[in-house]
Amino acid sequence: MSQRVALVSGAASGIGRAIAAELSDRGWAVLGVDLGPAPHCAISVEVDVTDFAGVARAVRQAEQQLGPVEAAVSAAGHYAIVPISEIDPSAWLRMLRVHLGGLAAITRAVLPGMVQRGSGTIVAVTSELAIGGGDSDSHYASAKGAVIGFVRSLAAEVAPQGVRINAVAPGPTDTPLLAADSPWRAPEYLSTLPIGRLVRPDEVALCTAALIEELPFCVGEIISPNAGAVI
Amino acid sequence: MGRLSGHVAFVSGAAQGMGAAHARRLAAEGALVAVNDRVASPALDELAHEIGGLPVPADMADREAVFAGLDRASEHLGDVDIVVANHAYMSMSDFLDHDEDDWWRVIDTNLGGTFWLIQAALPRMRRRGAGRVVIISSEWGQIGWPQATAYSASKAGLISLTKTLGRELAREHIIVNAIAPGVTDTPQLQVDADAAGVTLAAMHEEYAATIPLGRIGAPEDIAAAVAFLADFRMEALVGQVVSVNGGSTRTRA
Repeated sequence: MSQRVALVSGAASGIGRAIAAELSDRGWAVLGVDLGPAPHCAISVEVDVTDFAGVARAVRQAEQQLGPVEAAVSAAGHYAIVPISEIDPSAWLRMLRVHLGGLAAITRAVLPGMVQRGSGTIVAVTSELAIGGGDSDSHYASAKGAVIGFVRSLAAEVAPQGVRINAVAPGPTDTPLLAADSPWRAPEYLSTLPIGRLVRPDEVALCTAALIEELPFCVGEIISPNAGAVI
Repeated sequence: MGRLSGHVAFVSGAAQGMGAAHARRLAAEGALVAVNDRVASPALDELAHEIGGLPVPADMADREAVFAGLDRASEHLGDVDIVVANHAYMSMSDFLDHDEDDWWRVIDTNLGGTFWLIQAALPRMRRRGAGRVVIISSEWGQIGWPQATAYSASKAGLISLTKTLGRELAREHIIVNAIAPGVTDTPQLQVDADAAGVTLAAMHEEYAATIPLGRIGAPEDIAAAVAFLADFRMEALVGQVVSVNGGSTRTRA
């Protein structure tokens, strides 16, 4: 039997890498999409997720080799803590282009096939900050909040056609996106978290994999492995 | 070896419907399962036999009975470290007409019973150094429902209980989460259909029309979420409500 195919953006590091590893362990052939090479992937394509045409081309080529993409995860992202008055137009646009645009680009590339086959699923990685907000997180939280609106709406739109759209909203996760001196790593902050530590990428991966293959009645749902940061 | 091998689960309200599905699923994942319902019945015994578990009838509204039930389950199967608070009593009425005793019975069973159940299980989870609590709330606890003040209040109370115990117990590796099922195909639906004077099929259709996925839930859909939340590899998901409803609410907690 041929392997089921899952696309994972941001598969080169952090949460995306952990998701690619988990899906690969579960027998999926993973199409990794990132700016650099991604491990745990059947095919790793170096493309910027803000490039709609580039993502579409990568999906088309990979599908010829692996078969149709049945699951897609949008995990590509970047993070910056910036006070509102210091967020310039290019930083604002880049934040939205990567998080919301990256999700849209992937969706544009894989959704038509899923609708045509009457099955498929997409999981977007959003953030606890989109739900609870955070000091100096306005552009990041805006982008991740937009992802939630997109997910809820698209979920309602395509569920009747058999395609499930959901999201995971991790809290501060132990990935390279959090610098060594990040305030999210400070003991004073960690002590405020109910579990007392950062989220591990593999915990986010378990939630993502569950939304893909264990929870067929979840639609437009946001699962929050956030260490208890937002309850 | 399933992912729950070595664990002992207690599922309340398990004689039929969702509770029976949870028990089957947890057993299939390797857990030993005590199955509870308010009273002893052939259905409860048969389920216990089928999954190699233990029938533990007890009224969850009766604190002493709950503690005795947890003792019995732990003596036979080992210390309980997974609790699925699934039992519920449902009664619908216009607010002003709702009989006071009946109103409190809903609250005392659903909210109070879950409270006692977790109290009774905690010392055993502490002894094992970890635990998982899955509280079955309801979509109606999130969005409210006409003629369901008691039921909705009890289920909303369970959400607050989940959030509070999520915060209170996480450091001890005891992880509390809730599931809010939407309309699910259980024997209760026939009761609702009879009360509304419509056929079960008409009831299914009416509800399915409000759900983006185009169908009501199956008990197994909810049971899958129970198994997911009982996974001891994960602690970062805590104090949360997972809605399993085919998209009818799309995340309102």
